[in-house]
Amino acid sequence: MKVKNGDLDKLGLLFERYNRPLYRFFYRMCKDGQVSEDLVQSVFERLLKYRESYSGNGQFSTWLFSVARNAHIDHYRKEQRNGDSIEIDEERLEVDSDDPVAVHNKEAKQHLLELALDRLDEDKREIVILSRFEGLKYKEIAEILDTTEGAIKVKMFRAMKELRDLVNHLKDECSYE
Amino acid sequence: MNEKHEQLIADYLSGELDDVGKTRLEELIASGEIDFMEFLEVEKLYEELGAIPTQKPSEKLSNRFYLMLEEEKKSIKPGWWKVFIDKVLLEVSNLTAPKLAYALVLLVIGGFIGSQINNDQSEIEQLSQEMQSMKEMMLVNMLEGSSAADRLKAVNISSEFSTVDLDAIHALLFTLNNDPSVNVRIQAVEALKRWGDDERVRRGLVRSISTQESPIVITELADTMIELELKASAPEFQKLLEERELDYSVQQKLESSIAVLM
Repeated sequence: MKVKNGDLDKLGLLFERYNRPLYRFFYRMCKDGQVSEDLVQSVFERLLKYRESYSGNGQFSTWLFSVARNAHIDHYRKEQRNGDSIEIDEERLEVDSDDPVAVHNKEAKQHLLELALDRLDEDKREIVILSRFEGLKYKEIAEILDTTEGAIKVKMFRAMKELRDLVNHLKDECSYE
Repeated sequence: MNEKHEQLIADYLSGELDDVGKTRLEELIASGEIDFMEFLEVEKLYEELGAIPTQKPSEKLSNRFYLMLEEEKKSIKPGWWKVFIDKVLLEVSNLTAPKLAYALVLLVIGGFIGSQINNDQSEIEQLSQEMQSMKEMMLVNMLEGSSAADRLKAVNISSEFSTVDLDAIHALLFTLNNDPSVNVRIQAVEALKRWGDDERVRRGLVRSISTQESPIVITELADTMIELELKASAPEFQKLLEERELDYSVQQKLESSIAVLM
C-alpha cells in the first residue's frame, strides 16, 4: 500500500521478500535462469507501472503471482511469435545412465522428478508449483487463475496422478537404456 | 473416483483438511471407494517433490532492480517541501567552516541578547510592582499622618497607581469620609474618580454623600456623580435636600444634578 502511495523505498522491501519465490516460479516454469531473472525484473517493472491497480484487498502475494503469471504468458507468446521455443536443459536433468545405481539414489530421484514435472502440461505444472513449491492456498490459486477453488483441487489431484505416471514412465525408460 | 474425493485428497496433501475431512477420508479408504495404493503413491510423490532443490537468482537481478528503482525515483518530481528541505540542506552543506562558525556565533549572540531582553523585561515588571506596593504603603501611612499637606501628597500619590488597589481604595474612602481637611477630601474624590469604573468605588462614593457636611465637597460629589453617571446617588442627594438646610446655591446644584441623573 505504501508503494501505491508513492513510497518507493518500500518496493525494495517487497523485492527482498518476493524475488526468490518469483524466480523459483519462473525457473520451474521455463527452466532458464536468465529468462527467469528477466521475468522477475519484468514483474517489478509492472509493479511500479501498475501499482495504482492494486486495490489493497486480499493477499498481496496473490496479486503478485497474478502479475507474474501474466508476465510469463506474455513472454511465452512473444517467444512463439519470434519462432523460438523454450528449450529445456534435458542434459542437466538426464539421469546418469553410466551409473545404474545412481537411478536409485536421492539426487537421481530429484532429477527424475524435475524431468517429469517439466513434461507435465503447463496449466497443471503451474498449479503444482504454486501449491507445492510456493505454498499458496487453493483459494489463492483459484483467484490467480480466475476459477473456482474446487476446480483447482481437482486439477491438483489429477496433476499429481499424471506426475506419478510420468515418473514411472521415466523410470522404465532409464532401466531399458 | 468422483470429484469430491479428488478434492478431499488435494486438501489432505496441502494440509488444508480439517478433522471432519480426515475422518471422512479414512472412511472412504476403508470402504475402498478411494484406492489406498493410489493414495499412498500420490502422497509419497507429493513429499518427494519437496526435496527438489530450489534455484537462486544471481546478484545481477538485485543490481538491475535497484538501478531501476533509483531511475524511477529520479523520474518522479518531488513535492515542494522536499525541494525546500533539499535546498536548505544543500545551502548548509555549501557553508565553509568559517562561515558556519560565524553563523553559529551570530546565533549564540542573538539568543543571548534575546534572553537578556526577556530577563530585563521581566525584571522591569517586577520592579514596577514593587514600586506600586511601596507607594500603597506610603499612601496608607501618609493618609494617617497629622499634616494636611502630607495627606494631600498621599492622595496625589494614588494618581500614579497604574492598577486598582483595594487597600488604596479603602484608605481614600476613609479619607473622604473622615479627613478634617476639605481640600484633602476634595482631592480624595478626584483620586477615586479615576477608578470610577470599579463597583467598590462607586458604592463608596454614593455612601459618602450622607457623611459630607462641606458644601464644596457635596458640590464636588454632585459633579462626580454626573460624570460617572451614578444614578444610585440621586436618592441620596434627594435625602440631603429634604433633611438638611443647605445653601441656596448647593440646593440649586443638587436639584439640577438630580434632574440630570434621573
